[in-house]
Amino acid sequence: MVARRRPAIVLHIILLLLAGVSLYPMIFMVVNAAKTGIETGASPFSFPIHPLWQNFLQAFQATGPAFWRSGVIVSVSVFGMLLFGMLASYAFAKLDFPERNVLFYVVFGLLLVPPFLTLIPLFLEIKDMGLLDSRWGLILPYIAGGQAFCIFILRTFIRSIPNDLFEAAKIDGATELTMFGRIVVPLSVPIIVTLALLNVVGLWSDYILPSLILSTNHETVAMAIANFQPPPLAPSINAFNLQLAAFTLASIPIAILFLFLMRYFVAGMTNGAIKM
Amino acid sequence: MNVPVISDASRETTPAKSPIRRSPSAKRRTRLVAYAFIAPTFFFILAFSYYPAIRALVGAFTNWDGFNPPTWVGVANFIEAFHDPVFLASIGHVALWTAIGIPLSLIPPFFVAQLIFQLRSQRSQYVYRTLFIISMVLPAVVGILIWEYIYEPSGMLNALLKDVGLRFLQHAWLANPHLALWAVILMGFPWVAPFNLLIYYAGLQAIPTELLDAAAVDGATRWKRVFRVEVPLIMPQVKLLLVLAIVGVSQNLLTPLLMTGGGPGTSTTTPVFYMYDVAINFDQYGYGMAIAFMLFVVVMGLALLNMRYFQSEN
Repeated sequence: MVARRRPAIVLHIILLLLAGVSLYPMIFMVVNAAKTGIETGASPFSFPIHPLWQNFLQAFQATGPAFWRSGVIVSVSVFGMLLFGMLASYAFAKLDFPERNVLFYVVFGLLLVPPFLTLIPLFLEIKDMGLLDSRWGLILPYIAGGQAFCIFILRTFIRSIPNDLFEAAKIDGATELTMFGRIVVPLSVPIIVTLALLNVVGLWSDYILPSLILSTNHETVAMAIANFQPPPLAPSINAFNLQLAAFTLASIPIAILFLFLMRYFVAGMTNGAIKM
Repeated sequence: MNVPVISDASRETTPAKSPIRRSPSAKRRTRLVAYAFIAPTFFFILAFSYYPAIRALVGAFTNWDGFNPPTWVGVANFIEAFHDPVFLASIGHVALWTAIGIPLSLIPPFFVAQLIFQLRSQRSQYVYRTLFIISMVLPAVVGILIWEYIYEPSGMLNALLKDVGLRFLQHAWLANPHLALWAVILMGFPWVAPFNLLIYYAGLQAIPTELLDAAAVDGATRWKRVFRVEVPLIMPQVKLLLVLAIVGVSQNLLTPLLMTGGGPGTSTTTPVFYMYDVAINFDQYGYGMAIAFMLFVVVMGLALLNMRYFQSEN
């Protein structure tokens, strides 16, 4: 028993150390966001004696509109991505139609097309469409870009729903759309939440495409924090601390989502649906 | 005695596919519904994925400044690239990044998943899993910019070295052309990517406990069990993460873009960054697309190769 307990303590120590180091950039961010530039300059490791809460307020003054803008872009994109992805996945998983496999591989093949290949032509395409500096210039490519991965995961998941359920519903006269709404969607909630979270996190922090498509007057959160400009009245020595406060604010919406959806997320990630 | 016979008979008269599905009009209807269901997806991927992808592949053979119509130049862009010292250097950079970065993205998460999995209490497993996932809430941009501060001359790493009395090891990590690439590659210590950790953990959980118990009864040591039983059984996960890592490393544009701007000099310029730079900052769209084309062929080749390799092994 003693021999067995010791490795457990060693395990805990190693895990705690690794977790601590992994989390340190985040701790550093929050702690220094509430300090003055002078305090951070003296030691980045110290904790603030009198936390400067107004740093967060000033950071929000500088980035507030970007939060609303990003929120709209990300939620419309993820909703569209999952709605269309679910419909297509249901068709690929449970409905019979000619060239089903070929069409699936047309979607699946996009997993092998890395975003960098399409970045420049996509930017030029959006420009030609007159969607530069418009939120649709991001939403449309975002919906398209999420399809392959979502469908790849969702099709596997929907396939595992027993056929008996669909047969029974059919006997009761259910249409495909009813079965989609009553069987497929409710049973897929954990995997939908998982995919929604992964995509929200990805799009919320996407910087490259927005920085090409939007002007700084219509910047997203990722752009606003990368090109952070402190409000004019803030002391310039605190600029870095205000930027850290803006980083913290940018992480809060994701943190809230995780707080409420963590269970679903871990269940969705660990039920074995995500594999090759 | 009769009961099983009857049920057998009824099973025979009820084919796997129900009669409802077999009627031709219902079949046609299902087809139409199916096409309607996949239609939005195809609209989006044709317009915003395939169209730009094809444009990129064709554009690679043109000279284009983005304003005047492109002119066909054949393989001139490719020939130019192989005489372009910046492009050639960027290949070396991404090769090093791949060689170091892929093990870093695959091994530490496996190691941590393994440690968590070895804990007996479900509760501690849950707590550690959560602790390692928390960093997912940091947007990628934030993670990179914090690491930029860590590497700054007056930043955290140098402050730490000073505090532990290793002042002579202090460097301007990102300003030194010999160190910058290493600094960028080694960013993210201790490299426990939450997504990868969860994928491994899921794989480990799916292994039947009887199998692990049997190995234990046979006297296999813990690490023997890991390498003989667990690693082979989580190959599907390793395969997925490997493909994602290859694709991920090849397109590390964000890090050089935000952290170093490809510099100092061109010491952290990767092919993707160079593609972005020549196209966006120098309006050489054709040349940029040619670089993207080559990179795409290599990445696709590697991804397919390792898919095939693992498939034949299974």
